[in-house]
Amino acid sequence: MNRTALALVVYSMVAAASAQTPDAAFYESTIRPILRTNCLACHTDKTLTSGLSLESRESILRGGNRGLAIDKDKPKASLLLEAIRQTGDAPKMPPGRKLTEEQIAVLEKWIAADLPMPAPTQPSKRRGADHWAFQAPKKIAPPVVALTAWPKNQIDYFILAKLEAAKLKPAPEASRETLLRRASLDLVGLPPTVDETAEFLADTRPDAYDRAVDRLLASQHYGERWGRHWLDLARYADSDGYTIDAPREIWKYRDWVIKAVNDDQPFDQFVIDQYAGDLRPNPTNEQLIATGFHRNTPSNFEGGIDFEQYRVEAVADRVATTGAVFLGLTVGCARCHDHKYDPISQREFYQLFAFLNNVDEVDKEADRNRFNKPFLEFGTPEEIAKKGANTAQVRLLEGEIENYKLTLTQLSEDEKKKDLGLHERLEGLRLLRARSPNIVSTMIMRELETPRAAYIHLGGDFLRKGAPVEPGALGVLNSLPPVPANGSRRTRLDLANWLVDRSNPLTARVTVNRMWQRYFGKGIVETDSDFGTQGDKPSHRDLLDWLAVEFMDRGWSQKAIHRLIVTSAAYRQSSLARPDAAAVDPDNKLLARQERLRLDAEIVRDASLTAAGLFHPAVGGPSVYPPQPAGVYQVTQVRREWKTSKGGDRFRRGMYTFFQRSAPHPSLIVFDAPDATVTCTRRVRSNTPLQALTQLNDETTKELAEAMSDRMIKQAGDAARLRQGFLMAVNRAPRADESERLLRYLAAQRDSAKPGDAAAGEKLAWASVARVLLNLDEFLTRE
Amino acid sequence: MNFEDRYLQARTRRHFFRDCGIGVGKMALASMLARDGFAAGTTVSAGAMKSLHHPARIDHVIYLFQCGGPSQLELFDYKPELTKYHQKPAPEALMKGKRFAFMDTFSKEPPKLLGQTRQFKQHGKSGKWLSELLPHLGGVADDLTFFQGVATDNFNHGPAKLFMNTGSVRTGRPSIGAWVTYGIGTQSQDLPGFVVMQSGPRGPRSGAALWASGFLPTSYQGVPFRSTGDPILDLSNPAGVSADQQRQTIDVLRDLNSMQLQHTGDPEISTRISQYEMAFKMQSSGPELIDFSKESKETLDMYGVKPGEASFASNCLLARRLVERGTRFVQLYHADWDHHDDLTKPLANVAGEIDRPTAALIKDLKQRGLLDRTLVIWSGEFGRTPMGEVREAGKIGRNHHIDAYTMFMAGGGLKPGTSVGATDDLGFNPAEAPIHVHDIQATILHMLGIDHTKLTFKSQGRDFRLTDVSGHVVKTALA
Repeated sequence: MNRTALALVVYSMVAAASAQTPDAAFYESTIRPILRTNCLACHTDKTLTSGLSLESRESILRGGNRGLAIDKDKPKASLLLEAIRQTGDAPKMPPGRKLTEEQIAVLEKWIAADLPMPAPTQPSKRRGADHWAFQAPKKIAPPVVALTAWPKNQIDYFILAKLEAAKLKPAPEASRETLLRRASLDLVGLPPTVDETAEFLADTRPDAYDRAVDRLLASQHYGERWGRHWLDLARYADSDGYTIDAPREIWKYRDWVIKAVNDDQPFDQFVIDQYAGDLRPNPTNEQLIATGFHRNTPSNFEGGIDFEQYRVEAVADRVATTGAVFLGLTVGCARCHDHKYDPISQREFYQLFAFLNNVDEVDKEADRNRFNKPFLEFGTPEEIAKKGANTAQVRLLEGEIENYKLTLTQLSEDEKKKDLGLHERLEGLRLLRARSPNIVSTMIMRELETPRAAYIHLGGDFLRKGAPVEPGALGVLNSLPPVPANGSRRTRLDLANWLVDRSNPLTARVTVNRMWQRYFGKGIVETDSDFGTQGDKPSHRDLLDWLAVEFMDRGWSQKAIHRLIVTSAAYRQSSLARPDAAAVDPDNKLLARQERLRLDAEIVRDASLTAAGLFHPAVGGPSVYPPQPAGVYQVTQVRREWKTSKGGDRFRRGMYTFFQRSAPHPSLIVFDAPDATVTCTRRVRSNTPLQALTQLNDETTKELAEAMSDRMIKQAGDAARLRQGFLMAVNRAPRADESERLLRYLAAQRDSAKPGDAAAGEKLAWASVARVLLNLDEFLTRE
Repeated sequence: MNFEDRYLQARTRRHFFRDCGIGVGKMALASMLARDGFAAGTTVSAGAMKSLHHPARIDHVIYLFQCGGPSQLELFDYKPELTKYHQKPAPEALMKGKRFAFMDTFSKEPPKLLGQTRQFKQHGKSGKWLSELLPHLGGVADDLTFFQGVATDNFNHGPAKLFMNTGSVRTGRPSIGAWVTYGIGTQSQDLPGFVVMQSGPRGPRSGAALWASGFLPTSYQGVPFRSTGDPILDLSNPAGVSADQQRQTIDVLRDLNSMQLQHTGDPEISTRISQYEMAFKMQSSGPELIDFSKESKETLDMYGVKPGEASFASNCLLARRLVERGTRFVQLYHADWDHHDDLTKPLANVAGEIDRPTAALIKDLKQRGLLDRTLVIWSGEFGRTPMGEVREAGKIGRNHHIDAYTMFMAGGGLKPGTSVGATDDLGFNPAEAPIHVHDIQATILHMLGIDHTKLTFKSQGRDFRLTDVSGHVVKTALA
């Protein structure tokens, strides 16, 4: 059919409509019915399938994820028309059927006339926009309670009101020994020493506990404990991950976190430094180091890769991490398509992506030898240049030697005898390492002068670029300030400011909720990284909001919130089981008691070191290499050497153990330390036989048990020795039945001792007792 | 019902899983080392699934992972046409839109086709063509089911290995062994449900991420067995502690922990007591497992095991012994098949390392009646190109190829002596509907009685599964 004939047919069939000049009335009579029947089931402001809404002229002109729907210069070539004509590469719309020729013709006409249509009467609200977590928190006065003697601060009114509504009484306060051990483990990650316990028990002043809390909050170990929680979120590790998994230097960032937490840097500034310290005016070295937060993503340096693919992975991870850590939203779900449940579009994912897309890092093979640059380096320019050159050479030589070793296994015996340059390379490696200037460096963020173009990646595939996007935030939350009039772009600094703006309804809530989770085993919102419509409802919404506003009102001081929580009556309750409460509240959501929580992986080590009296208190510095069982590196691609630390470094906190992503220290992994590949907002607490084997049989336990034995033996008599051991391990004296049973065990150990050196036998028998104490459930648990 | 039982019941399973923070101990107890809830006569529930989605064809998996990308064109995929066009430029139509590793070096000039460098002949009643590098596998050809024209998504070793194992090219997702033991538990009481072993000159790229539990509880991650010393770290008593003393220590811990259980009423303590007991059992079952002294000389010879020498062969024998003892999922990694620049001796060597033990494992399982309930999988992370790659003058190899590689399986519920899928005459693309890695994963789960679309876990707001959003069971391979 030729054009004229087609036009005639169309004319005859929709004569009335076509005769009309396209205007608002034409839209109502002719266009709207077509759209309503065929398009609006999927393409409204609410549904936004493929990012496209056909609800208003404005939204149609904005286009969708694949780009502009309407080509204003060549209306006939518009993507929308291509889709309904079902001719080109565009998806064929509507799915499974086709509009009639005359319907297509009137749409063409309407588009050619610049889409006349009435303005929407009221902008339609996005689905889910009225969800509680998207409304700003309000400070609600604590409720009235009957048991007025119980509350110690405002928190307790909120807790008690709900308990009373369920006809439950709070649990009694935990024993003083338990209380001190609990607060110490929670605030500094170390059990109290025997002396600290004695001092606390002797302090009969009414504010003795508050003083203990003050002492703990002022301890430099507080920054380590809460810094380590933050490092879980930051996916901090000491190696690159992926294939080669070479060591990387970024421990300065870890130390920065510890110091910032110890200094109680206001949380909003803490976040801004980490997101965009480099974009602050005249950034300090500290602010540059802080940007390591998002440089902790794994890097792939395998031969033959497309660097851009892994750079895009890293940026997408930063977006997902931003969602989980600050917003408590599953933003990562919108990478491939619009979020199924929450009002987060795929376009918005890539608007956030655009903020984080301009970091200077390797994106092509030609730049391979830059490896993890940029660094902040502490040395003279000559030293820095030399170290850079040496490091690149070392990595290349390591690769060659690895290949060589591989080839070696495939050669005949005669061929093996030939050196083929191995010796020369090993010597070169040794010299390069020896001559490398001993200066410290750390990975940092630097913004590219010319930003990379950002697109929606269709289906999340970095090769399928859809519509271009500019940096932007999530529409359902607080708005960003307008783009500056001078035409400059929004930057990471704008994103950081948006995250911690007082009008952001989520960041403060999510942050205080996560603090709460560390103290009670679960948050007020149990799904701590999903505050969206699919997440759990808060168990105490008013308390959550009260804490969030209080946090901001107190200048985003984390210490202020910690003090509030640990001095509350709710926190101080006993953790003993309560059958009466369990009957009505089996998950203990109402907090009719405290929870018993197994210690975190690093803290198992720290508590063992403290009990043995070998704990080395140094804070910060390069990561260390405590003993680890042979054979851990049998499974890595590049065989690494584990040079066991000597002296004090052998007894440093678990958080300083060198973290090799492809083969982390087994004691960390066995006790559920995260693998540092993606953000971990909440650790699992498993209970396995491998934990038993580690804590029973590892060389470390043996060494520490012997040290404990030495200290127990200093006491006179078995009873006193046993008491000393209990105090060191669990900060309390043994109960009678416990003493009786352990003394029987001690007798059996004495019987097994080889005749001869009595002193040595006695030491071993007590070391056996110490080993038991280090394996008690109570030792491994915060009661 | 006592208080403790009531308490345990009240904390529902759903709560444990979503929560991930509390009560995982109970799951670990149930599935890391507990009895299979589906076997006849047992009562303890094991995995997260209340019952199997459909009857299982097999109970165990032995996954022989071949690191580096074995050349299907030198091993399994007989292509006389390719040899005919040796040294001809690769057809442009086939190259269009393809992406390769080492893009910039590999494609400097149009790559040329490389004819097959090995002789092929037919084996068994099935008449399967295999190359001269696999004489022993030829002897069991009628027990094998080949998957040809298998396609994966990524052409780099680390990510492609992750993809085979976790269904995703990025780290952080659970591996197939973790999914399986999470879903259906294990039958072993005193050995881990998911064991990983390694042989060859180096460990697999991506390391622990390949057997990780991802967002599943960490008790489901693969337990690496070492090739020398204790198979499991810290399995031996500390120096100077006798077996009797260890028993006394476990006993005193049980008694003291029971007192604390009485005191606190926390059921997690009873889990810990059980875990220490299991650890003690593992201390005797572990050494017994690796003690080959009761294996006959014929068996050792069949595998090619040399006493005291760690090898793929001894790992294959260990795999059989693990399966005999109830372990659900055993994975062996063997390196290295990455033959970019030489298909002569290096390829022959590694083929020689795996040929005899793989065939022996299948024969051994069969003669013991275990092959009916075991699935043996042999696969790399991808295959190699029909084009040659020249990195060094005078030598030729093949680059990574992700569109049409070959793998094989053997075991209960499969059609033995068949091939499913096919490749075109040059081995470039699948000639039939491609078999994607997600299809392979769906098929493995299917054989274990698991519907791959139903075994899911919610993390960060999304229900994840091994096969992401795709995957179809390769029904043509099933008996």
